[in-house]
Amino acid sequence: MEEFLTLLLAGVSVGAVYGLIAIGLNLTFWTTKTMNFGQGSVMMLCAMLTATMIAQGWPQVLSILAALAVIVVLMVFTETYTVRPALKIEGSMGWAVSTLGVGIVLQGFASLWFGSQALAFPDIIFSAIDDVVVFGVHMSLQYLAVLVLALVLVVAFELLVRGTVWGRAMRAVSMDADLASVIGIPVRIIVLGSYIGSGVLAGISGILVAQIGGTVDPAFGFELVIFGFVAAVLGGMGSTTGALAGGLVAGVLQQMVGGYISSAAQHGMAFALLILILVVRPQGLFGQREVVKV
Amino acid sequence: MLTGRRGFLAATGALAATSWARPTLSADSIKIGFTTALTGPFNEFGEGYKRGIELAIEKINKAGGVMGRPVEIAMLLDDQLIPDRSVQNMRRILDNKEIVGLFCPSGSGPTLAVIDMIQADGRPTMNPQAQTPTVIYPGGPGTKPRPNVYTFSIQNDIEANFMAAILAKKYTRIGLLNESTGYGKTGGELVKGGILKINKDAVVTHESYNQKDQDMTSQLVRVQRARSEALMVVGLGADMAVIRKNMVRMNMTLPLYVSAGGFSPPYVEGVGDLALGTKGSQYRKISTVPPAPEVLEFLNAYKAKHGTDRLWGGDPAIPSPSMGGTVAGGYDGMTVLADAWKRAGTTDAAAVIKAMDATKGLIGVNCTYEFTPDKHHAVEVGDLTTYEYTKVDGRLTLVQANL
Repeated sequence: MEEFLTLLLAGVSVGAVYGLIAIGLNLTFWTTKTMNFGQGSVMMLCAMLTATMIAQGWPQVLSILAALAVIVVLMVFTETYTVRPALKIEGSMGWAVSTLGVGIVLQGFASLWFGSQALAFPDIIFSAIDDVVVFGVHMSLQYLAVLVLALVLVVAFELLVRGTVWGRAMRAVSMDADLASVIGIPVRIIVLGSYIGSGVLAGISGILVAQIGGTVDPAFGFELVIFGFVAAVLGGMGSTTGALAGGLVAGVLQQMVGGYISSAAQHGMAFALLILILVVRPQGLFGQREVVKV
Repeated sequence: MLTGRRGFLAATGALAATSWARPTLSADSIKIGFTTALTGPFNEFGEGYKRGIELAIEKINKAGGVMGRPVEIAMLLDDQLIPDRSVQNMRRILDNKEIVGLFCPSGSGPTLAVIDMIQADGRPTMNPQAQTPTVIYPGGPGTKPRPNVYTFSIQNDIEANFMAAILAKKYTRIGLLNESTGYGKTGGELVKGGILKINKDAVVTHESYNQKDQDMTSQLVRVQRARSEALMVVGLGADMAVIRKNMVRMNMTLPLYVSAGGFSPPYVEGVGDLALGTKGSQYRKISTVPPAPEVLEFLNAYKAKHGTDRLWGGDPAIPSPSMGGTVAGGYDGMTVLADAWKRAGTTDAAAVIKAMDATKGLIGVNCTYEFTPDKHHAVEVGDLTTYEYTKVDGRLTLVQANL
């Protein structure tokens, strides 16, 4: 039982982070049908900035906020100079190359500014030794904090989308940007906002993962974005609930397969799941089948 | 800053003095080339051995070079420990026919990816860090070596025998975790084989992980389920930090043993005091007090150029033994190669390989080097010792310990 709970907790915590990354990818997919393939570098940059500022004596909260502020500026740049020009050409996939390019450039700059070695990432609020004992099982507070924070962010995001004017405007843009523009919705700002929101979620995910691993380096984040992408497709592109569910399923399944079947097979599991869902239910667990009027 | 006429005269004088102090060297330099992990999460290895080579070259050139010619690094490329990049880089290096000495990349994966093309090329090649025995002996330890490749690292079989003897003596149920690279796989298999050779009833729970994984819970759960009494990890420092933190989160208190690569700087940087009590093997000479004269010369040169930085470790007085692997392997490799050039009186590959095979009693930083046509490794079990992370004067330090 203790083993099962340990694996379950690790699975849902890591899965919740996959879910956050997936929601970030979904956000831009809603508004522009694009995704930021440089999302892994955004995670890395936010974590490295936070680690560097804390190492220089800045308070933790201020360091995180400052790092997120840099990410906001970066996302404005990304949307304005790499995505929007590519979208002017109908049917162009240029945004995929340009966002990936921004990610590679960020990796290069991070190596230049921070050095290419792994930086130590400090414990935030809880350390690895902090735990609570539930039914005789030691549960890491770091994992619980990641899980709780991820769930709070998902709920807050859902409330924002469903219960506010901006959320409704975002949904309108996702359905028909031209019509939304005609009825006076500031499409440009909504699209920009979706990129900023996506970046902020990636930045927070980077910080959450880095404090679990204990180190962060310029190559950090790439694999996590792949798992985030798997979570988004698994849950159904465009569905927040689906993104979270997809992340949790991928995370828990990885841990259970690793713990009970073979640790060598755990990474392949997420991709096997991706193939299966694309064959059996291409719209994902919570997605809706796309209907095109002809 | 020197400005104006006085500054110009001072600078000219200094330059003249420097020129006079240096032996006359021919402009026709002896060129070496290599690809290594200069950036990326494991760059302490590539950057480390590059520094070692540079220090050795400075010493050689200061003493008049080799056959009156200075030695220089003509090509230095970055592969980030990624085998594909190592192959591309090594191809470029091998295309440069002016290069007469090669060094293998950091790590077994990249080295195994390029070693066949190096052997086919035939130029003398030093391997400062890769530990997999097939880098040198394609048929396994005890078989014929590749004619032109010599290793300065701790071969996996040597380290595995050393660690297996320690583990098998103390424990009967052992968890074994290795990274899924050439280094990790062969290291893990050899440790497992070594333990079972000593104690055929031992229960070894053998698991693997991918480099840069951020969570190792499932592997550790399997080790825990097997009621292992100790955990041995064959991997590198950054991943070791993830494993140690994961162990603490799971309240796993069993003793942790690590391979030589696991003691690299990112481990202690990532976990801080959680490193206390971590045990493992490393080079003996480099952290022995008082240091031997050749070690002292190397350490003084390093301190003068780089200070007591992260590769040196936490104690300014005694270097971390991991420097033996990160820096000294390159230093010794360059020193032995230059010695072979001198004895051969040429940089012709066949003559240099013959001279390398006759290397005898050359005292290096990590060990005394002796190569023959059938033996292309030098570090033996006697050149290793056991270390444990302990607090000395409030600083985390790796100290020699009887495990």
